Amino acid sequence: MDALNQLPLSIAAAIRGLFGDPHSIWADLAMDIIAFILVLLIIVAAALILILLERKVAGWTSQRPGPNRLGPRGWFQTIADALKLMGKEDVTPAQADKWVFKIAPMFILGLPVMTLGVIPYGKGLVPVDLDLGIFYFLGISAVSTVAFLMAGWGSNSKYALLGGMRAVAQMISYEIPLIFALLGVVMITQTFRLSAIVDAQKTLPFIVVQPLAFLIYFIAGIAEVNRAPFDLVEADQEIVAGPFTEYTGLRWGLFFLGEYGNMFAVSAIAVTMFLGGWQGPLLPGWMWFFLKTGILIFVMMWVRWTFPRMRIDHLMHFAWKVLLPLALLNIVLTGLGIYIYQLLVPGIGG
Amino acid sequence: MFGKGLFKGMGITLKRMLQPNVTQFYPEEMPKLPPRARSSMALDPDKCIVCNMCANACPNQVIKLTGEKTEGSNRKTLISYTMDIGRCLYCGLCTEACNTGALVPSQEFENAVYDREDLLWDMMARAKQRKQNAPTGKEE
Amino acid sequence: MTIERTEEISLNMGPQHPSMHGVFRMIVHLEGEVVTKIEPKIGYLHRGLEKIAESRTYAQFIPYTDRLDYLASPHNNLAYVQTVEKLLGIQVPERAEYLRVIFAELARIASHQVMIGSLALDMAGWTAWGYCFRDRERILDLYEMTAGGRLTVNYMRIGGVSHEPPPEFWPALNSFLDDLPAMIEEYYGIFYGNEIAQARMKGIGILTKEMAENYSVTGCALRASGVQYDVRKAAPYGIYDRFDFDIPVLYGCDTYDRALIRLLEMRESLKILRQAVRDIPEGPVMAKVPKLIKPPAGEVYHRVENPKGELGFYIVSDGSNKPARVRIRPGAFVNMQVFPPISVGLKIQDVIAIFASFDAVLGEVDK
Repeated sequence: MDALNQLPLSIAAAIRGLFGDPHSIWADLAMDIIAFILVLLIIVAAALILILLERKVAGWTSQRPGPNRLGPRGWFQTIADALKLMGKEDVTPAQADKWVFKIAPMFILGLPVMTLGVIPYGKGLVPVDLDLGIFYFLGISAVSTVAFLMAGWGSNSKYALLGGMRAVAQMISYEIPLIFALLGVVMITQTFRLSAIVDAQKTLPFIVVQPLAFLIYFIAGIAEVNRAPFDLVEADQEIVAGPFTEYTGLRWGLFFLGEYGNMFAVSAIAVTMFLGGWQGPLLPGWMWFFLKTGILIFVMMWVRWTFPRMRIDHLMHFAWKVLLPLALLNIVLTGLGIYIYQLLVPGIGG
Repeated sequence: MFGKGLFKGMGITLKRMLQPNVTQFYPEEMPKLPPRARSSMALDPDKCIVCNMCANACPNQVIKLTGEKTEGSNRKTLISYTMDIGRCLYCGLCTEACNTGALVPSQEFENAVYDREDLLWDMMARAKQRKQNAPTGKEE
Repeated sequence: MTIERTEEISLNMGPQHPSMHGVFRMIVHLEGEVVTKIEPKIGYLHRGLEKIAESRTYAQFIPYTDRLDYLASPHNNLAYVQTVEKLLGIQVPERAEYLRVIFAELARIASHQVMIGSLALDMAGWTAWGYCFRDRERILDLYEMTAGGRLTVNYMRIGGVSHEPPPEFWPALNSFLDDLPAMIEEYYGIFYGNEIAQARMKGIGILTKEMAENYSVTGCALRASGVQYDVRKAAPYGIYDRFDFDIPVLYGCDTYDRALIRLLEMRESLKILRQAVRDIPEGPVMAKVPKLIKPPAGEVYHRVENPKGELGFYIVSDGSNKPARVRIRPGAFVNMQVFPPISVGLKIQDVIAIFASFDAVLGEVDK
């Protein structure tokens, strides 16, 4: 299967060879554009498949088939939904803040695209191999809070404002356990670069060494993406649709795509940092990557369709009084572990 | 241990995910309603003796029927029988009141129409339509 | 930067809302997430049933009573026909009484399933709702094969019931009763046992015993506040005094207890149903009643234990074949009065949960 692993690299080398100097700035520019288009394709395809998978899993938990009319067993449903959304009237509320209202969906979809650019999808398949990989990811995902607030404020609706305020409170509270959970892995590998972190897991995935950090990261990640049981930002039963109440047609579709893109990004980072990235026997690297990400996303959906929603003060209590101390405890234990490891195994210094 | 209920709930959902569907693929599979289901009413004009019990029993004046005396016997024959389904409660009191079994509940449930005028059912025409469909099987 | 002032939002959770249990409107005054005042506004489902009753004969009004509490329609039928029978002094045959009890208790189970499912749905537990409604379908199938209707059954008549159940009714009923304990366990596992749901329901919406008695709350909300009062035991109607069952009472006074007591009541209904199936005698299902029902002039009040509370009918007759006045005392309407005072100071998510725990059906509230 190494041939399949090498295949994208040989295609890349062939495209570079089309230029006179394979390392000229034009070749680099061409490769970057191709990488960008591929990342866009990945996020759009992921969002389309995931929206349908969500509805199917929802059906399976209550012994129904989910959408099963369009396409083979219903798998073309999202294409029909997207076409329908494009045909809807674009309504902007009269007193809404027009610029804020219109730019918010672009943020929500643009930010996951930016974060997906630094993740290694396979051997040598990193669109942009930043030295600051994980730090960049955390910085970008912190900005997505602003997008929800823009949507909530710009809609000029009380329901939207409530949803926007809840979004801010929730997302900034769960950023901190998220970051501290990932800090444990960074302490072990001593680098931010994502491809180096994946290479460091050649023998043992970090979930074995950092199980608590994985759990904290997963829970905080679900909260960051606003999925149940932390979905009170868009709580259907109380504030109709939260910040998305006044959005129609394709704008709302962009929000939806952005949410699933975010889910994909959070799972991809979990796979990279804790589950060994693209490494695995037999199958090519990129197949393993998508398989592992898919399993994590399935677990997220399984959790969503089982649990009821948390109340806002329970949510904050959980973030600040439970997850944060556990994450700090994890850092202390990791530090102790590294120190003891350095003492016991001679020759490992620095 | 905190969280035991959460894991039990997840176990229940996982178990149900692996079980077969309980839904019916409508309209390819039509549900089979029991014989007493009063989703609609059907009239057999030959059995009707124009006694007006159904019209009296109806809470909402849905049924209007007229008849004339046939010569030669003291029975009446039915001329017209209309039901204004828009006012109907689907309570079944009319079918219970019928002594001869002319008006019976029927199991057709796809009765939605687009125009308000189509809600005024001419029961004798519908009976004739049913008789035409019956020998060749239900085609509609 | 100093904050000038904060304002209260008044949010209209209007008749069209994803969780308003029918068409109920309330204006919620919020300070941030905390509720300061609730103004309920009802009347969006008013159909004038009490006025309609004055122009229908006694037998013709029965289908209209179905539409009061449409989730447990045999109970409404039962309340009305028993009131008229009290006025006329008719004795109902034994088999009809047992069939009435079977239908009423099945309706209680069905109504509680809807309540549990809706409460879970208001907290985003979609799967629990799906399980409750999937299991309710079996009860609706039982209704359909006997009476003809699923939701508005129109089964009781003045003097008995309308049809004898078909032979396939009894095996289906017995298999449903065998499966019911497993269903109750599943509801517990997927919803009540969940720590997140418990955190959202425990300690929320405390309805003290004094307040419940002062506001004349009836039904499950009263029994969850520690008062042992059930019309089936306090003033038995029909043949309820022959059955051996308990009245579950809980003392927590909060939303969790109001929800849990319905699960316990389903167990008690199971007991009653098993006894009824065991003891039902043969015989006619309808008494000899005159075709034209003309009760003597007088007035009578009769009440039953609806799943929502105490449903009462007050009929004034002037000797003709149409009633002079029918007054319906709905359980849900009286229970709902206590909902604004106990929600003050809680968050808006709690308000949704409390309203769901009172289980108000707008058909009954608005008539």
